[in-house]
This record gives sequence, C-alpha cells and structure tokens, in this order.
Amino acid sequence: MSYQFQPGFILEKLPELAAGLELTLLVSTIGMAGSVVLGLLIAAGSSERLPVLDGLGRGYVEVFRNTPLLVQIFFLYFALPEVGIKLQAFTVAWLALVLWGAAYQAENFRAGLEAVSRGYREAARALGFGRPLTFAQVVVPIGFRTALPSVTNVCISILKNSSYMVAISFAELTDTAVDIVSLTFRVFEMFLVIGIIYLGIAWLMGCGLGAVESRLALGEAR
Amino acid sequence: MPDWAGPVLAYAAEGLGRTALLSAISIAASIVAGIVLGSLLTVPVGIVRLPVRAYVEVWRGLPIIITLFFVFFALPAMNIRLSAFAAACLGLSLWASANVAEIVRGAVQSIHTGQFQAARALGFNWLQTMAYVVLPQSVRRMLPPLVSFLANLIQCTSLAAIIGGFELLQSARRSIERLTVETGSSEAIPILAAVMLMYFLLCFPLAQVARRMEASLAG
Repeated sequence: MSYQFQPGFILEKLPELAAGLELTLLVSTIGMAGSVVLGLLIAAGSSERLPVLDGLGRGYVEVFRNTPLLVQIFFLYFALPEVGIKLQAFTVAWLALVLWGAAYQAENFRAGLEAVSRGYREAARALGFGRPLTFAQVVVPIGFRTALPSVTNVCISILKNSSYMVAISFAELTDTAVDIVSLTFRVFEMFLVIGIIYLGIAWLMGCGLGAVESRLALGEAR
Repeated sequence: MPDWAGPVLAYAAEGLGRTALLSAISIAASIVAGIVLGSLLTVPVGIVRLPVRAYVEVWRGLPIIITLFFVFFALPAMNIRLSAFAAACLGLSLWASANVAEIVRGAVQSIHTGQFQAARALGFNWLQTMAYVVLPQSVRRMLPPLVSFLANLIQCTSLAAIIGGFELLQSARRSIERLTVETGSSEAIPILAAVMLMYFLLCFPLAQVARRMEASLAG
C-alpha cells in the first residue's frame, strides 16, 4: 500500500466542492418541491376518482416507478433533442428528479388521502362543504400529515439521486468529486468528504422533517 | 422493422443477459450477507450490533453511484484490479446487503419472543435458535419486501453504465453512439424507449407480485 492520505488536499478542494454542493442543493430543492406538488395533484385525481385523470395518473406512476431513473434521464437528455427539444443539463437534472419523485410522492399521498376516514368527509358535507372544498380543507390537511414520513423518505432519495446527474456531466457535488478524482487520484480524500456531506444532509433532513412532523401532528397523535 | 434494428436488438439482448447476471449475483450475495447481518442486528449485545449498524447506515445512506465510483476508483488505488462489471457487482452488493439486512432485521423482530424463549428452554444456542426456529418462520415476512427490493435492484443495475460496465443501458448507449457515427441519425428515441419497456417488463410484474404478497400477509 503506497497510498498516502492527505487531509490538506481536502481543504484545497473545498471551494470547488462547495460550488458542486450548491448545484446539488439547488436541483434537489426544485426536485423535492416539484415532486410534492405534482405528486399531490396525481394523488388528488386518484383519491377523488376523477375520470380520465385517475387512469392517466395511475399509468404515469407505474411507468416512472418501474423504469430506472437513469434511463429517464438519458431519454430527456439524449432522445428529446431528436425531436427538436434540446434541454440543458441543469433543466434535465431538476426535471428528471421532479418527474421521477412525483411518481413516488403520488403513491405516498394516495395512501395518505385514502387513509382519511370517511367520517371526516361526511362531516364536511353535512356542514355544507362542496366536494372541492371538502378535499382542500379537510382531506388534504389530514392526509398530508399521514403521508409525511414517507414523503420525507422520498425527499431524501431525491437528494441522493441528484448524484445520477454525473451521467450527463452536470457539475453537481458527485460530478465535481469524480472529476477531481479522475485528475488527481485522491480517491479516499474526495469520497470521504462527499460521503460525509451526503450522509450529513440526509440526517439533517430526517431530523428537520421529523420535527415538522411532530409540530404538525394532529391532537390525537400528539 | 428498419435495417438498423436487428443488430441493435441483438446487442441489447446481450446487454439484457448481463443485466440479469448482475442482478442475480448482487441479490444472491446480498441475501447471504443480509441474513447474517440482519440476524446480528437483533442480538441484544450492543458491541456486536454497533459495527453492523454502522455498515448498514453507511451503505444504505450513501447514494449508490458514490459507492460504485468508490469501489471503481478505490480498489485500483490499493493495487487491486477489477473490471467495471465486477466493480458494479461489488458496489451493488454492498448497497443491497445493507438493505436486505434491514429487511431481515424487521422480519426477525416481528417473530414473537415466545419462540426465542421456547428455543432457549429446549437448550438451543443463539445460532440454533436463529437457524432452526426464527429464520424459517420469518421468511414469510421477508419475501414481500425482498421481491419489491429486487425490482429496485434491477433498476439500479443500470448505474453500472456510468462506470462503463456493460449491461442493457450501456448496450443502448453504445448502439446510439455507433448509429450516430455510421448513419448520422442516432435513433435514440426508439432505442431508449425499447430499453425502458424491457426494464418495465422485468420490474412491473415483480412489483405486482410484491403488492399481492403484502396484501395476503396483511389480510
């Protein structure tokens, strides 16, 4: 073993890694927010049994859950230009995470919304709430909370999967580190740093969203 | 069918075979390792659990690509030569074994403590208790999450393409590059759509089976 661990190398490369981390956080944040919104819309179609939208939503979920995210990324990046749609790596990065994540969030929200007991809906109707109002004011606020733990897990997966963008050379954290390693062969220094960063952020997110969960918990669950 | 499709499909079939091999090796290795590690996670002795817990948290928590790149770059740095395919096998097995360990832990912990106590009362030691009493009973509970994890694993084998390992997605990528050079048109849309369909045909039935098993276990 002739490998010499050089802690100083890490300090030297920190500015580059910070730039990569910024892009990772940016596309992950867009991916999380977008997937929650789109996922909730798809779940709404299913749980409210809206004709056509329900079927479309289910098809969407099955396609995106049962094909690899990497193939979806390749499709957006390499296939779409064939029909004249040229997307930048940045656009592909957040869009792929939104589309992929939405399929998983839709399943989470659907389970959450369907767990809302019928009594709540009936009570809302008895109070004169229409169907849209019942959904928006009663079903979503309760179902959202039920779904939150699994929604959190998918958000963490989105952060981790932003590393897939190394495949289209989008300069996020993993791509930055891999570039540095291929030029310098400082394997252990770089992977130690980015490993700690990813594990650390995922852990912080788990704690933060856990705190949100208990803050939002309904009276009966508190 | 257009002229270009024949060779592309033949090459994709070769890639599909490698995807199957990669999945089979990783799932086999991770089931063996996962059963051992998962059982160890249920040991009441903290000092035994700690290193196993660390292994599981690290390989489950890291993005899989980082694990693959790490194996791909780190072993040569220690003068161990591995092909990209072998590195992918090893990397995926590290990640998968951590996940299977958690599945096994959950299943073992769902077995009633009376079973442990009865085995102890019969004079079984820990190994015998696990091997003859607890693990056989927990298989039923492991199977649904294992099947659904297998679908996940098959999808993740596509990541081997990023480190240059040959499998289904890599075969498609090479075909697209070859066609672009030779004919000027990449045919990326039909090729990638076909690859998506192949993954879908592998993963969708598995997901359905897992869902059905879960439902029958619950009901």
